[in-house]
Amino acid sequence: MPPSRSAAAVAAPLLASVLLLGACGSGGDGGGGGSADGKPEGSITFQTWNLRSNFKGYFDGLVRDFEKANPGVKVKWLDQPAENYAEKLSADAGAGTLPDVVNVSPDLSYPLAKAGLLMNLDKEKAAARFKGEYTPESWQGNTLPGLDGSYAFPWYLNTGPLFYNKSLFREAGLDPEKPPENYDELFAAARTMAGRPGGRTATLAGTPSIEDFGRYGVRLMNEDATRFTYNEPKGVELLTRYKELYDRGALDAQALTNTPEKSGQKFLEQKVAMNPGSAHDLGTFKKNAPALYRNLGITDAPNNNGKPNMYVMGLAVNARGKHKAAAVAFAHFVTDRRNQEAFAHQVAVFPSTKGSLDDPYWTKDDGTDEGRVRVASAKMLKGAVNYTPVVMSDEMKVVLKNEVAKALQGKKSPKEALDDAAAQSDKLLKRS
Amino acid sequence: MQRAAGRTPERPTARAGRVRTHRAASPWLFLLPGLGVVAAFVLYPFLSTVHKAFTDARTLTPGTWVGLRNFRDMLDDEQFRVALRNSVLYVVAVVPLTVLLPLLLALLVHKKLPGVTFFRSAFYTPVVASVVVVSLIWGWMLDDRGLVNGILRFLGAGPVAFLGDQWLLLFSAMALTVWRGLSYYMIIYLAALANVPRELHEAAAVDGAGPLRRFVSVTVPALRSTMVLVGALSSVAAFKVFSEVYLLAGPTGGPAGQDTTLVMLVQRTGTGLNGRVGYASALSLAVFVLTLLLMLLVLRADRKEADG
Amino acid sequence: MTRTSGGEKALRYLLMLAVLAVSVGPFLWQLSTSLKSTTEDIYTYPPGLLPEHPTLDNYQGVADIVPVWDYALNSLKVAAANVVTNLAGASMAGYALARLRFRGRKAAGLAFVAALLVPLESVVIAQFTMMRDLQLNNTLTAVVLPGAVGALNVLLMRNAFANLPYEVEEAAVIDGANVWQRFTRIALPSVRGTLAAVAIFAFMGAWDDFLWPLIVLSDPDRFTLTVGLNFLHGTFQQNPRLVAAGTVIAVAPLLVMFACLQRYFFRGVGEGAVKG
Repeated sequence: MPPSRSAAAVAAPLLASVLLLGACGSGGDGGGGGSADGKPEGSITFQTWNLRSNFKGYFDGLVRDFEKANPGVKVKWLDQPAENYAEKLSADAGAGTLPDVVNVSPDLSYPLAKAGLLMNLDKEKAAARFKGEYTPESWQGNTLPGLDGSYAFPWYLNTGPLFYNKSLFREAGLDPEKPPENYDELFAAARTMAGRPGGRTATLAGTPSIEDFGRYGVRLMNEDATRFTYNEPKGVELLTRYKELYDRGALDAQALTNTPEKSGQKFLEQKVAMNPGSAHDLGTFKKNAPALYRNLGITDAPNNNGKPNMYVMGLAVNARGKHKAAAVAFAHFVTDRRNQEAFAHQVAVFPSTKGSLDDPYWTKDDGTDEGRVRVASAKMLKGAVNYTPVVMSDEMKVVLKNEVAKALQGKKSPKEALDDAAAQSDKLLKRS
Repeated sequence: MQRAAGRTPERPTARAGRVRTHRAASPWLFLLPGLGVVAAFVLYPFLSTVHKAFTDARTLTPGTWVGLRNFRDMLDDEQFRVALRNSVLYVVAVVPLTVLLPLLLALLVHKKLPGVTFFRSAFYTPVVASVVVVSLIWGWMLDDRGLVNGILRFLGAGPVAFLGDQWLLLFSAMALTVWRGLSYYMIIYLAALANVPRELHEAAAVDGAGPLRRFVSVTVPALRSTMVLVGALSSVAAFKVFSEVYLLAGPTGGPAGQDTTLVMLVQRTGTGLNGRVGYASALSLAVFVLTLLLMLLVLRADRKEADG
Repeated sequence: MTRTSGGEKALRYLLMLAVLAVSVGPFLWQLSTSLKSTTEDIYTYPPGLLPEHPTLDNYQGVADIVPVWDYALNSLKVAAANVVTNLAGASMAGYALARLRFRGRKAAGLAFVAALLVPLESVVIAQFTMMRDLQLNNTLTAVVLPGAVGALNVLLMRNAFANLPYEVEEAAVIDGANVWQRFTRIALPSVRGTLAAVAIFAFMGAWDDFLWPLIVLSDPDRFTLTVGLNFLHGTFQQNPRLVAAGTVIAVAPLLVMFACLQRYFFRGVGEGAVKG
């Protein structure tokens, strides 16, 4: 319980002097928190998103190095599972217990920044001075519409490779070395796969996502991001073609309910021929499905307009943190060129620091499969776009997913379904 | 509820009234811990939820007064209709089974036979394991390459997409709820059965009544208030079902969200960074009112039967 | 006592075995999955009921990444605290509602009925805000508090006390026993069966709770088992063997504890009933 007003008046000077002595006092004002300038010190928390299981050693090392270089700072590393991450952030944000440095993507940082919980890095001198270390696109990628600034240090980039099963391709009479590059080729391959003798094999485990609409060349939103436009004829065309695939059995029987994790499992079991994944999956395949790993093809997601999708990860700084100087220093430390490159050597993600991708590691094919894919993806990254509209909340994604499912089930025509989804989402957008 | 829980032959309050048996403050001291917890952590949050139902509050913003807009939105909301249908179906399908089957199970293990305690305890395994564990296990068993489909396929049938079809998913979740409910409510029945005087059974047996007759004419009447209690508990639980469906059908509620239940809708709408706390509060209020109506329905049915 | 005929006995055992298979079978299947090595195909037809080369690797694998044992301990602490607070709080409140006469009794009773009807899921955010104000978020105390005295348990206790014949206490009143003495010496021992049931429900309720700890705990060191398992499930969805190992770890200690204590549970239920 908060102390009474008069008690607070007496206690305030005392508290202030205690704070000056460096003890851990309660900030209590709920407003500004500590200062971002000055020497980094104090205990800070650092939260990542589903990285503990594969990269425990890397992050333990990061924390150790940083603490050694900054003796006054203690970093506590937290990791949250992939699921329910947004819920966790919202609970922490609501309670004022948001970690000092937190792993976000732009669609997650948008509501947080809107509520004034994240530091505007462009407006904070201590942070803005690092801007030049990152590629302009990645800094821009963390800039939020209507909020006048960037709210996260750019961290790793990911084009989201598309994995495919070469032996399933071979069995279906497709060239395993020529994965589909655009949607026409994808749909043709899926038709062949579904019609192959000796049982139908599904090509994809999931339904089209907002990124698919983007890569297909559908305009997703109007200019000022106030209205969804994926129900334009191009979008209807995409969904109509997916419906045809679904009817032919070219999508997994459970495509309507598969979560990304579940889709990954189907691919692991060699029940579907292609699956979008993340670089983290590679290790999983190697360990749990050696047979699949030998026949694993990696390519970029099919694309109609030459601009691949790019997932942008960032590290945001809590605007109300007590030790902002330490938080900014640590967020910068994790995302500086050396550490980003080290991380990207551990797993096939890409650094967002300026000049990193000119490193031979990303420009010279070393002859391995992984190396070839790495070099190709790094090249693609130049024109990559983060298709997912920042203002598209989880609820709006669910709306789209549900309406797409209804169209595939035949309960609605593709046009009706997309019109309904856009109308519902617009309404949600207006209410926000 | 008042009536069901408080039905006693004697009327303690009336008799206590004749002699003053305690100080005026005593009852409140007895009530303090319980009432305190309930008031602070349930009733007060509920009142704040009622308040929020009339605002456009979001997770990170307090919101402003919007009158009845949330309730008007609800009437237009297709997801709400789907969720309401599913929750009602859940009650209709699950409650009769959870009232009857656990009673039969309790009767089965009530009789003292060698080894019966082992069976009682073993039956309790699904409850001892948490709902998360059990849902993970069922999810793995009902997977299209899981145990159940393995057996079906071995028998020359299937595979059945238990987790891919809107109705099969809902039925699977219902089966899971009933399965867990078996031993959960068995405990309540066992406790009540122990209170049924054995003489009643023996008298009936001497009169030559068969097991079925004894069940209908001795056991059921003696356990009526317990059955009502179980019925009330399980209907409220079924109406508010969340975990099983959430874990089997996934956070978005199965194909096209068609397996969403009311509480899932509340949870999905009201949480997350962009959570529409105001609208979710209005939905909660609807859940609350409907639960209340459901309870009244159960108790009304009970009263009618008792009077008639 | 009537004698049980041989045929009836056989039928009863047969039925009990059938229920046993249904209620325990899935857990054995999970156990079997958890013991299968990575080289063994777990998707065969017909399903392989026994692991070909049993291994404990999966248990090692899970425990390396996720401190499942710590989570189990946290859950135990929460559940034990929940039992104690519920037994004390619910029996006292139930006693007052059933056996004492005072102004506001009906209102107090209604408060519990109302609380029973409030869907917990709809108030978790409000509860969470409250925990923040009390500076208790991210503690096990915060996990316990909202369910410390369950409205349902209060009503169960009230039901039990109300069913006691009034004469039992009347004698004590005449002997000059005060309320507290009547409560502890006469009323409580008479409802041991219900107390046992309340203890079980309180334990299971706390053990089972998923949504609330998920929201109120943010530090992985303090996760309870259900939240920890969700973490596990999210992390290892592609390997059912590891998830199976995690669930077995989650279930095993509790089963052992339950097996040791079940005599008390069921005898408590039985004895309380005979005397009540």
